[in-house]
Amino acid sequence: MEAEILISTIARALAFSAPLIWAAIGEIFAERSGVVNLGVEGMMILGALIGFIAAQSSGSPWIGTLAAAGVGGAVGLFHAFVSVTLRANQYISGLAITIFGLGLSGLLGRSWVGRPLLNSFERFDVPLLSDIPFIGPALFSDQYILAYLILPIAVLLWFLLYRTRFGLVLRTVGESPAAADTAGRSVTLFRYLAVTFGGVMAGIGGAYLSLAYRPSWSEEMTNGLGWIALALAIFATWDPLRAVGAGLLFGAFFTLSFRLQDRFPPELLTLLPYVFTILALVFTAVGRGRRAFGSPEALGQPYARGER
Amino acid sequence: MKRWILVLALLMGVASAQDDSLKVGFIYVGPVGDNGYSFAFDQARQALEEAVPEVETMYVESVSEAEVEAFIDQLVFEGSDIIIANSFGHGDGVLAAAQRYPDIIFGHATGVERAPNVMTFMADFYQVYYLNGLVAGALSDSGKIGYVASFPIPEVKRHINAFALGAKEVNPDAVVEVRWLYSWFDPAASNEATEALISQGVDAFGFTEDSTTVVQVAGARGYPSFSHYASMVEYSPETVASGHLVNWSVILIDFVEGVLDGTYTSENLEDVDYFWLLEQDAVRMGAAPDMPINPVYEEELKGYLVDHPEFGEISAWDLVFERLEQMSTSREEFDPFEGPLYDRQGNLVFEEGEIPTIPELLSTQWAAENVVGPWEGE
Repeated sequence: MEAEILISTIARALAFSAPLIWAAIGEIFAERSGVVNLGVEGMMILGALIGFIAAQSSGSPWIGTLAAAGVGGAVGLFHAFVSVTLRANQYISGLAITIFGLGLSGLLGRSWVGRPLLNSFERFDVPLLSDIPFIGPALFSDQYILAYLILPIAVLLWFLLYRTRFGLVLRTVGESPAAADTAGRSVTLFRYLAVTFGGVMAGIGGAYLSLAYRPSWSEEMTNGLGWIALALAIFATWDPLRAVGAGLLFGAFFTLSFRLQDRFPPELLTLLPYVFTILALVFTAVGRGRRAFGSPEALGQPYARGER
Repeated sequence: MKRWILVLALLMGVASAQDDSLKVGFIYVGPVGDNGYSFAFDQARQALEEAVPEVETMYVESVSEAEVEAFIDQLVFEGSDIIIANSFGHGDGVLAAAQRYPDIIFGHATGVERAPNVMTFMADFYQVYYLNGLVAGALSDSGKIGYVASFPIPEVKRHINAFALGAKEVNPDAVVEVRWLYSWFDPAASNEATEALISQGVDAFGFTEDSTTVVQVAGARGYPSFSHYASMVEYSPETVASGHLVNWSVILIDFVEGVLDGTYTSENLEDVDYFWLLEQDAVRMGAAPDMPINPVYEEELKGYLVDHPEFGEISAWDLVFERLEQMSTSREEFDPFEGPLYDRQGNLVFEEGEIPTIPELLSTQWAAENVVGPWEGE
């Protein structure tokens, strides 16, 4: 019985945190290149809406996911243009994207409210893996494809970031753009790639919400998840694999806050995930110093050759 | 010269024609496309315009509590004679604006405070939640029914109690497990609250929150749920068993006609408080307007027999419609909270034969005997 509770808690943690982890991994790449993107919430909601419209129109949730990735990427490209090419304030650009995304999606989505998605993603069990005791029912059963994809993608991106030349250059761009520039690497190109990729991932996170988790569109349906994804990226110390762990931990707190309501005061329980997030952020920020946790040195600073 | 006079006369004619119409401005807390609360309100606005030809309407949507005064200014500027705000949270702004515009008539839905030019009105669902509870009690196999609730305020508590008492009437062992969201709109929280209840053995769902999440999540697992405010049957056609639908238009039409014939003025609204129910057709039972109970469940409900103290052996289906008819006649005919009624701590809430007054309904803090879960202020 105890094991059963644990299994279902982990399973629900994954189902809930999947969009957070998609967006957080994307944010990790953007920040690894030195660009902060506070527009995650806006990119997610636009991904949720455009993905929903595309899936509704085409009849395929996959086309919806592609469209969501596309719109997320396009907004990411815009953020890259503003923050890398124009060297404008990244924080303001990101905030503007979030505000704009929430407003625009509300406006464009008006006629799509009240039309549930009938051809949404379906839950399924992963063959073989779902038979593994404990892990199978916890992580490989009764989820949507976009939740299952998280683990392989996180591993792949971890490898890309830490074990390839591309990853090394990307990290160098975020740590010391001047060094990368001197070595003949284009800071602009890498930052554009990373920020656009971050947008793609946030868009897919949004698509998970409107095509799988609750297959319908309603205004402001991301409801702050984009901000939590941002916090997760930091809490995971900019590491894609840790983002999975951090996401699951946050998800477990979230689902437990409803599961334990008959035993603990619900007001406190519903605060728990957020208290956890704040504590994690504080711990990450001051605990052992910024450097030790791997915050990219040049995070938030536009790069211009010859300036310092 | 003459031509100028003609144009002027025409303009004045147009102006006076406009003055003849009664302008009603609406302020909605949500988007009209929320497929729930504000959507249902806008349906009523359209019905009002159709029913009372002298009325012209306009509306602003997605108006938060903080913005309400600015939008009232705007509606006054555009010539509104009556302004209707639809959210409890609009109250303070409405009362403040009412002082600045003593000649304008205000209506505040779900509000509690009135003024000489501010009336309050409410279409309350407690009777319909009771009917939904009868259905949920009959459809639940485990006897564990879930309720995903927004905030522990009297309105929500009243509805949970009515729902629980309905379930108990058809299944004495039925319990209602409550989970609180502390939010009116949080789809992810609602999703996880529903899943948490499912993992704890719940197999039928009521809810009070502003999204379709419970209907969709429960529906995906095959468990029955209920439409809230507007039809949600499209979201899960096979599992939305019934529901509670609002019909604000009867209140609006009654009030506006009262303004037109001089019954209601900007000086005598201090005691005007509509609390309309099934009897006045302000609320209805149904998964959708033309579907009181989803035909999917007809056989199961007709086959579910209850040994009832009042009706003898009766099917859940027939019981629902008997009760609906009684309550549609009057509150004296039948009320879900009619005494003797004990709360879950064993206190007598209403004595034998006692029917709660409206103020008693509005201040509900007690929890019904078969409600399980945390309950603030009990």
